[in-house]
Amino acid sequence: MELSEVLPKYWYNIVPDLPRPLPPPRDPKGAEFSRIELLNKIMPKEVLRQQFTTERFVKIPEDVRDRYLQIGRPTPLMRAKRLEEYLDTPAKIYFKFEGATPTGSHKINTAIPQAYFAYEEGVDHVVTETGAGQWGTAVALAASMYGLRSTIFMVKVSYEHKPMRRVIMQLYGGQVYPSPSDKTNFGRKILSENPSNTGSLGIAMSEAIEYALEHGYRYLVGSVLDVVLLHQSVIGLEAMNQFSAIGEEPDVLVGCVGGGSNFAGFTYPFIGAKIGSRYIAVGSAEVPKFSKGEYRYDFPDTAGLLPMVKMLTLGKDYVPPSIYAGGLRYHGVAPTLSLLLEDKVVEWREYSEREIFEAAKIFAETQGIVPAPESAHAIKAVIDLAREAKKNKERITIAFNLSGHGLLDLTNYQDMMVRYS
Amino acid sequence: MTRKLLVSYMTLGYPDEKSFIEFVKGADELGTDIFELGFPPSFAKYDGPAIRRSYEDVLGKYGDFFSLIRKARDVTDKKIIILTYLEDFVDNLDEFLERLKESGATGVLFPDLLIDFSSDYKVYINKIAGHGLDPTLFTSPSVPDRLIAEVAPLSRPFLYYGVRPTTGVILPISVDALVKRVRSFVKNKLILGFGLNNEDDLRRALESGADGVAIGTAYIESFENGGLTQALETVKRMRSILDEYS
Ligand SMILES: Cc1ncc(COP(=O)(O)O)c(C=O)c1O
Repeated sequence: MELSEVLPKYWYNIVPDLPRPLPPPRDPKGAEFSRIELLNKIMPKEVLRQQFTTERFVKIPEDVRDRYLQIGRPTPLMRAKRLEEYLDTPAKIYFKFEGATPTGSHKINTAIPQAYFAYEEGVDHVVTETGAGQWGTAVALAASMYGLRSTIFMVKVSYEHKPMRRVIMQLYGGQVYPSPSDKTNFGRKILSENPSNTGSLGIAMSEAIEYALEHGYRYLVGSVLDVVLLHQSVIGLEAMNQFSAIGEEPDVLVGCVGGGSNFAGFTYPFIGAKIGSRYIAVGSAEVPKFSKGEYRYDFPDTAGLLPMVKMLTLGKDYVPPSIYAGGLRYHGVAPTLSLLLEDKVVEWREYSEREIFEAAKIFAETQGIVPAPESAHAIKAVIDLAREAKKNKERITIAFNLSGHGLLDLTNYQDMMVRYS
Repeated sequence: MTRKLLVSYMTLGYPDEKSFIEFVKGADELGTDIFELGFPPSFAKYDGPAIRRSYEDVLGKYGDFFSLIRKARDVTDKKIIILTYLEDFVDNLDEFLERLKESGATGVLFPDLLIDFSSDYKVYINKIAGHGLDPTLFTSPSVPDRLIAEVAPLSRPFLYYGVRPTTGVILPISVDALVKRVRSFVKNKLILGFGLNNEDDLRRALESGADGVAIGTAYIESFENGGLTQALETVKRMRSILDEYS
């Protein structure tokens, strides 16, 4: 099979295949302006059109497919044989390795089309936020691919603790500000309340949106919204082609969840095609949105500039503890994934940092790949599933999405080694 | 060719009783086929800014909205579908439906029915029909195809398909693709609404197989900008576009 045959020509949208209607985004009660209308000034037009599309398959522009090939798509589907042996399990374990892209995670899959649509529209500057740095890195690269300038608001605690992430973004030509910053009204307000506020994804998002609006730039969105999940479906669609090429079908699919984009991107094509019988979303026990979150309308951003969406949420003002898996610190879960969790199509598990550290170490020792701490949550679930399969003597096939590598999270791992060893 | 239907929306009693009645009367004469009248809910959660403004405007003005339905009934013979949210009336639904019927309404449309009450929507449809009213169902792109196909035959006198996530907010969408798609599995009359106040969208909807359109936001905005005269001008303009395709 040619690589370009594995890479799909269309993205997959699960909305028309959901078990029940997806509650629409809406403006809050007594709104003094329409946030839905404001989206027109925030996002590139085509991105917005795709956000609300009902088409099951959306064509991937030729130019975007071309870039996908250039960044190393299709990413490999690999079998974790040494891990299987280590666990002495009858289960087969496969993983899709999104860490094989230049920016080291799946985030580039949506950064490229969003930057492309901005470029096509004549926009010359894009803005976003980043927590751990993965999304910001992807935006900086995608922007530079299309000759756009990029500004990235980076959660201050990461900005200070992850200087290497900042360096990559700067190498790609990105302008990086620590958030809360003095560049926006929202940032200045937060700082005046507490000058030592170390920031959150919600605050950085609010700053990025305000900054984009203020300057007439466009904002690129990293997770949660349907359009991001749509673009990420390239992961699962490729995996389906790869599985069919080797004559296998996964029974259980696993992924970690921050906003839900890599999980959805990996599993939705399988859910839509009714392949597999269990889909397991894994979150952080320290940010317990599956076990403690409420399914209700909430804002995706702390400032409330975006329309409200119905999702599992810990509340937009939730302040997450400073766990190392920065990408899992978000307060909500993508609306479609929230609905599938509510309807029990998707199961969930939550693991603590100590547990995922052990899993990451086992994976690194057996397979050689240092996983991103976010992805290590999925690995922990896979290890548990493989052990359960051993106990029940089940010859199942487990597949998970290794959403990123952890080579830029080594200081985190160093700290975890000190803490948990 | 068959006549394309004009469904005219107006908030009950907006902007004042006299203009409201004049509007209904005028819109009937200018070729409205069906009326949709908005009964102010406590929170018009799936509506856009213009319709929300109109609700806020009328809320303090009247003690009784049923009598306004009755007064509208007196000036038109067309069907009157009441648009409001089930959420507010779910606890005393029978009484509410009975009063609607007595006031001269012919049907009711709850935009939140399939979204927030999806597991037992059939119970509510039966209740509505049991009171001699038409259940008009509201669907949108976020309603799964399977469900649209399932509910379409239950919807009378047409199936309402809202192409945008909220009323009157213009977002870039492909109207033609949306319409062609639902048209392929919806056999009854298909009326499009939600933010269809630009002519381009309207034409594309009609070309793609819609049986008619529902107009609301455009009337409210006309009222805001130029009062009753301009609102009726808008009715005339909409009718003439529809007639090109009739
Ligand atoms: C490697 C990695 N995995 C997972 C996530 C979580 O995000 P999502 O749930 O949108 O995939 C992130 C977010 O930053 C990430 O960097």
